[in-house]
Amino acid sequence: MLLRLSWLLALLLAALPARGAELRLLPPGLAYCDELAARFSRLPGARQDAARGLAAEGGRLCEAGHARAGVARLRRALRAAQGAPRLARSAHP
Amino acid sequence: MPHTRRRQQHPGPLWRLLSSAGFRFALLFAVVFLAAGLAFAGVLWWGTAGTLERQTDSAIRADAMALAERGRDSGLAVLAEAVEERLALDAEGLSIYLLLDPSGRRLAGNLAALPPPRSGDSSWYRLNVEHEDTGPGEARLLVLDLPDGSKLAVGREVSEKGRLRALLTEGLAWAAGAALFFALLGAWLMRRALERRLTPAATTAALIAGGDLSQRVPLSLHDDEFDRLGASMNAMLDRIAHLMDGVRGVSDAIAHDLRTPIARARNGLEEALLSEADDPATLRGAIERGIADLDNVTRVFQAVLRIAEVEAGARRAAFAPLDLSLLLADAAELYGASAEARGQTLNTLWPESLPLVGDRDLLLQVVANLLDNAVKFTAPHGTIVLSAWREADWVVVRVADEGPGLSAQDRTRVGERFFRADSARTTPGSGLGLSLVRAVVQLHGGALWFEDAGGPPGQPGLAVLFRLPVAA
Repeated sequence: MLLRLSWLLALLLAALPARGAELRLLPPGLAYCDELAARFSRLPGARQDAARGLAAEGGRLCEAGHARAGVARLRRALRAAQGAPRLARSAHP
Repeated sequence: MPHTRRRQQHPGPLWRLLSSAGFRFALLFAVVFLAAGLAFAGVLWWGTAGTLERQTDSAIRADAMALAERGRDSGLAVLAEAVEERLALDAEGLSIYLLLDPSGRRLAGNLAALPPPRSGDSSWYRLNVEHEDTGPGEARLLVLDLPDGSKLAVGREVSEKGRLRALLTEGLAWAAGAALFFALLGAWLMRRALERRLTPAATTAALIAGGDLSQRVPLSLHDDEFDRLGASMNAMLDRIAHLMDGVRGVSDAIAHDLRTPIARARNGLEEALLSEADDPATLRGAIERGIADLDNVTRVFQAVLRIAEVEAGARRAAFAPLDLSLLLADAAELYGASAEARGQTLNTLWPESLPLVGDRDLLLQVVANLLDNAVKFTAPHGTIVLSAWREADWVVVRVADEGPGLSAQDRTRVGERFFRADSARTTPGSGLGLSLVRAVVQLHGGALWFEDAGGPPGQPGLAVLFRLPVAA
């Protein structure tokens, strides 16, 4: 009985997800900030105050060297300018 | 039968613990308890962390399929733009994309490179993702080979879900620890309870094995399985004590009843030997009296042995269909002559046929013993009645005399070997006749009882009745 239990435990441990290989994500840079800003400016909703404020703050953060925070603001500005973030929401469970 | 298999003695307390039934029951309880806990944890894991992972994988698969369709319909450039648009709208920064053209050149996405290919067909990866500006995270990634040879990787960072899973794991680990603790505690309590309930029976058995047969298992008020076991043991001990008393009584009775004829035979022979008479006839008479006394002793032993044989059920194989009417007629004919010689009248009454299954010789012996007693105890010129009738599935036989009868106290003892009522002390007999009657009736599955025969007070007479099943 104890032997069977240890087999079950071993099986359970083997079924747990193993740590996989390590991969690198590209860091958001100033060029990507500019790309997001250009994408924002092409949107019809870019004139909304809230969206414009977020985009401006994102741009300032990027220029100040906080690219990750700046990219996050610019992306929120893009979603605000689009008005309906259905696409993005559908992509994120 | 002696026990040839002896238990191996292991003095160690650990062995005693492991070999105890209480410990094994307790261990079984603990294992079942832990198995139930594991099953519960498995269901909980499947319903929470498992559901989150399945939802994430489902969303990744849907997104990848949508992108692949767009690439197939509109080309790689449109697909690259769609990837960039998805990344641009990902305010939480959890999405991972990479699009490579057939030559392996990166077209869009935020992943530096694809993971190294693995053996097998699985295109799913669980990866540790290294951010240059933040710490490591965990991600799920699906890599698709598009029809034109390009590759599309779609993934999500699941670090938050991983943290939730870790929390759940920690909670389950604590719960498992608590379950293990309570399983062991419950096992210990169960073992102690079993030991406590079995101790009285074991102690009593040990005392009885030591020779004190008066001990009985104390019973609690629970009336549970252990009490029923104790009650069964007590009933068994009562039965054994009763049988031992019977054996002791029989031994005493044999010694007492046989001493007289044996001593009489010895004295007669000694007297003949010491007498100075040379008359062969005198010597022959002494020897014949001695032989007659010893024949009486032999008859007593034969009767005792026959009762033992009947009680052991060894005669059951001789059972056969018979007609009790014919048997009663034979017995009446045999004892009718004896009764007539004493001036008694034997009245008989039974139907033409009384079929049943049994041992003819034993049943004839039963009726003969009862008629013999009736003849002995009925005064000259008295009446004896032998009757029988059918009553449902039984045949009832009644032998009634006009003797002194039996007191209620004597009726309870009259089946015991060598028992003789005070009123019968002066009548010849060994006290074994009714013992044999009772044993034979019980062998046939019947019953024996006594009633007054309806005579006047002081001489009520005795009616001995027994009934036998029609199909024994």
